[in-house]
Amino acid sequence: MRWLSLFMSLALPFGTLAAKKPASPADTFNDFHTKALAATPVKLADSSYKKLTASPRDYSVAILLTAMDARFGCQLCREFQPEWELLSKSWLRGDKKAESRTIFGVLDFADGRDTFISVFEPPNCTCPGVLPPTIGPHAVPGVEGPVRLDFTNGPLSAEQVQAWIARHLPGRPHPAVKRPVNYVAWAVGVVSTLGIAGALAKAGPYILPIVQNRNAWAAISLIGILMFTSGHMFNQIRKVPYVAGDGHGGISYFSSGFQNQLGMETQIIAFIYGLLSFSAIALIMKVPRVADAKKQQVWVLLWSAILFLLYSFLLSIFRIKNGGYPFSLPPFM
Amino acid sequence: MAVATATDSSSPMQTLADFGKSKSLRTLLRVLILCFIAGAAVSSRLFSVIRFESIIHEFDPWFNFRATKYLIANGFYDFWDWFDDRTWHPLGRVTGGTLYPGLMVTSETFASCWPPAFSGLTAFAAYLLTNEMTTNTSAGLLAAAFMGITPGYISRSVAGSYDNEAIAIFLLVFTFYLWIRALKLGSVLWGALCALFYGYMVASWGGYAFITCLVPLHAFVLICMGRYSTRLYVSYTTWYALGTLASMQIPFVGFLPVRTSEHMPALGIFGFLQLVAFIYYIRSSLSGAQFKAFLFVGLGAVFGLALLALVAMTSAGYIAPWSGRFYSLWDTGYAKIHIPIIASVSEHQPTAWPAFFFDLNLLIWLFPAGVYLCFQDLKDEHVFVVVYALFGSYFAGVMVRLMLTLTPIVCVAAAMAASQLLSTFLSVKSPVAKDPEQEDATDVSSKKIKQNAGSLRSTNSPYVGVYSFMSKGLVSGIMTIYLLLFVLHCTWVTSNAYSSPSVVLASRMPDGSQHIIDDYREAYQWLRQNTKEDAKIMSWWDYGYQIGGMADRPTLVDNNTWNNTHIATVGKAMSSSEEVSYPIMRQHEVDYVLVVFGGLLGYSGDDINKFLWMVRIAEGIWPDEVSERKFFTPRGEYRVDGEATETMKNSLMYKMSYYNYHTLFPPGQAQDRVRGVRLPDTGPVLNTLDEAFTSENWIIRIYKVKDLDNVGRDHAAAASFDRGHKKKKAIKKRGPRTLRVD
Repeated sequence: MRWLSLFMSLALPFGTLAAKKPASPADTFNDFHTKALAATPVKLADSSYKKLTASPRDYSVAILLTAMDARFGCQLCREFQPEWELLSKSWLRGDKKAESRTIFGVLDFADGRDTFISVFEPPNCTCPGVLPPTIGPHAVPGVEGPVRLDFTNGPLSAEQVQAWIARHLPGRPHPAVKRPVNYVAWAVGVVSTLGIAGALAKAGPYILPIVQNRNAWAAISLIGILMFTSGHMFNQIRKVPYVAGDGHGGISYFSSGFQNQLGMETQIIAFIYGLLSFSAIALIMKVPRVADAKKQQVWVLLWSAILFLLYSFLLSIFRIKNGGYPFSLPPFM
Repeated sequence: MAVATATDSSSPMQTLADFGKSKSLRTLLRVLILCFIAGAAVSSRLFSVIRFESIIHEFDPWFNFRATKYLIANGFYDFWDWFDDRTWHPLGRVTGGTLYPGLMVTSETFASCWPPAFSGLTAFAAYLLTNEMTTNTSAGLLAAAFMGITPGYISRSVAGSYDNEAIAIFLLVFTFYLWIRALKLGSVLWGALCALFYGYMVASWGGYAFITCLVPLHAFVLICMGRYSTRLYVSYTTWYALGTLASMQIPFVGFLPVRTSEHMPALGIFGFLQLVAFIYYIRSSLSGAQFKAFLFVGLGAVFGLALLALVAMTSAGYIAPWSGRFYSLWDTGYAKIHIPIIASVSEHQPTAWPAFFFDLNLLIWLFPAGVYLCFQDLKDEHVFVVVYALFGSYFAGVMVRLMLTLTPIVCVAAAMAASQLLSTFLSVKSPVAKDPEQEDATDVSSKKIKQNAGSLRSTNSPYVGVYSFMSKGLVSGIMTIYLLLFVLHCTWVTSNAYSSPSVVLASRMPDGSQHIIDDYREAYQWLRQNTKEDAKIMSWWDYGYQIGGMADRPTLVDNNTWNNTHIATVGKAMSSSEEVSYPIMRQHEVDYVLVVFGGLLGYSGDDINKFLWMVRIAEGIWPDEVSERKFFTPRGEYRVDGEATETMKNSLMYKMSYYNYHTLFPPGQAQDRVRGVRLPDTGPVLNTLDEAFTSENWIIRIYKVKDLDNVGRDHAAAASFDRGHKKKKAIKKRGPRTLRVD
């Protein structure tokens, strides 16, 4: 490889002299590689982008298009930028002799407006791209613009993008992404663990009654069960909206499908389940312990009314979800 | 307690109650009720047999049926070494090593009608388990009744669903019963029985990991609560040692119990228990507060070190990390990104709340009440209910399929609550109202109880009873209505939702009569009669077992999804253009391709709706050749009409689904009734496949893969030549005529 580049750098000036071009590909590469050694990824603008990607080139360019300015409100750009920096840094570190001949660059919309519009269609795209070499042993003929990696499901991690770039640059070294050890996080973790352990040891006599309190554990268990049986995990996994519009400017609390639900809906359901359970618990455990006959009568009436009304209401909600459901109880028929 | 009872032996109610007190009569009644429950459980599962006929109707069961046939024909030892060359062509499959054989061994001869029989046994097991939890025997009967008819369990055990789960739930409940029994008695015998049934469970269903994790968790919680006892030690160690040995006899499991993470809790708790036992022994022989403290610190350190060692060994690769299916239960986003094959199965989707209510009805809110009742005594077995309830509901929320593991504990807990409620309000005895002085006395005593730590707040005041008949009548009336409604609900769900087999579809005609759509069997019959016996059928994996069982033809992939790459190959063939797919099909010696298309009938479970999963799975292996993005329009819509993307229109699946479909309709009115869109006037062109068979309602379409062209042209050229040839023929015919005129 080195011989080749040496040969190139010797041979190409003649070609460039003939074409009256200012710089050879090797010069351009060395130029940008020096810049990259100072700060990678290389920050590009319209002119430097043209210079870097000018054909012919015997090196590859990995470029990230982004729009970091707050005006554009590009969340994806801000989320992916550190990953790209990490990737380019670990690539440079793992490839000290520049055997892969790859330059990592970043082009912000603010600096390269024209390039954005002319080269990248559609221009609002925020994505990494790869430009393979046009001459040399790894040349890929017929590729004009950069090969793009579209983010369809949110930003990818540096490792995933590294694998993608590696697929497009076969036969060259592909330094792996090395995430720096987060010493601060480790220190914070160790210190806080020790701190919490110490605090627990000190405050043990005061905390122990709470930890051993049966009521607390009963409450935690019931809340957990109610949460899970009312579809909380579905909300977590599917990331459903909290409420949705009903198309007439109002809010609809219940979605109509059997397989769908809204965040608010599950909370209403959990609340209904909770109240129903609680009225059953009250009837089983509290009511028979009321010593006064009249008071007891009132409590029984109250809890039975809640039990009956809520279950009727629950059935009516269920009929929204499942149109063919035939059963109902008064008063919500 | 200051409770006086109104005893009036002459009242007819009292006579009735006395009559019921005779012990032998009670036993007889209990046996009778259990028999009735078992009968109800079995008969409610026979809906599909009555409505349709005795066929096996889910996807997985077809393989179980084939395996059972092989087992009967060749015996048990050959079965272990059975290499099935009629599936996963051209790879084949070492069947003995990749399935849970418990089901086949159990059933031997009777196939479609025995899952209902097991439901009766499950109801009995639920009765036994509930009786361990409460002294109230009617709770057990209620639990058995709930277990017998609740749709959450019926869904997997209706007649014709010849599946592992049907038997597995009986084993699950019975194993838990034996575990509780062993723990209560501290008996080696019961522990060994528990291990025996655990081994049987391992042989039956992959869900055995639920037991493998729940029992150690229960033991761990008990130790944390300071409830270590020799009973726990004896029962756990017996169960673990024998159960692990038993499970390792299954070839599919082998050495997994010492090598994979999901088995580590059981092993870890086993070791931890030895330490705890040792320390308790030391403590009993020595004394001194400092020594104790030192020991507890040592215990914590050892536990932490063991955990660290586990992490180290996992990262070093000695212990396999959580297997994908299991891991996706914890990290819920994991499956979608890394294992689309798991995320694609409809049973592995998270559960929305209507599904809970649909499957459990009123039990869903009696269940937390029952769990709360467990906190009243909070003995070892009650801790089990609480732990099971929490984890069961978490897992059921993450994956629809695991509703099945939640159902037993819901039935047990709900039955405890319901029976407690009924016995409180159905008691004939009423307390007599007390005078104020006595009330003061009870107040004092209740304050005393309040200071008693470790009890529930709701039990602070003493138990009195229910005074008025009105209260009793009201509450028991409401409960009766609810229970009757539950029975109606279960009947309705079972007859409507869970009894329609997926092989035979039922629909209603405008006049209300039932119309049976039997396209699947029609197509499989066609395959059986019109194709060579070794003709290889390519289809999406969902239909693999059915084709193997009903059509008796080799398939490329089937419902045992052991080889992701092979499935992705089929996905790639389906989602690529003909030029790409044809070489793939030739390489795999495919003779016929089968697709399911619901556009004519409005059958939504068809291949076009599953298509994106095929694309995703293929993209996971060949990201450069298949791209999900290209199946969506620039506006991000998944379309099949004229606006569909070129990649979509050129994909083999699209072409096979819509080939010639427009000819059914008058021009410009071709319509897809599932997607609800109008299709373009010109249908897709197929060059490398010939339409071989299309079923009555177009649900199944079968295509024959063309041979290589005789004169070495590519298929597109040959096909266009054929089309052009006809035109030329017409010209030729016209030619001579003009000649003749001349």
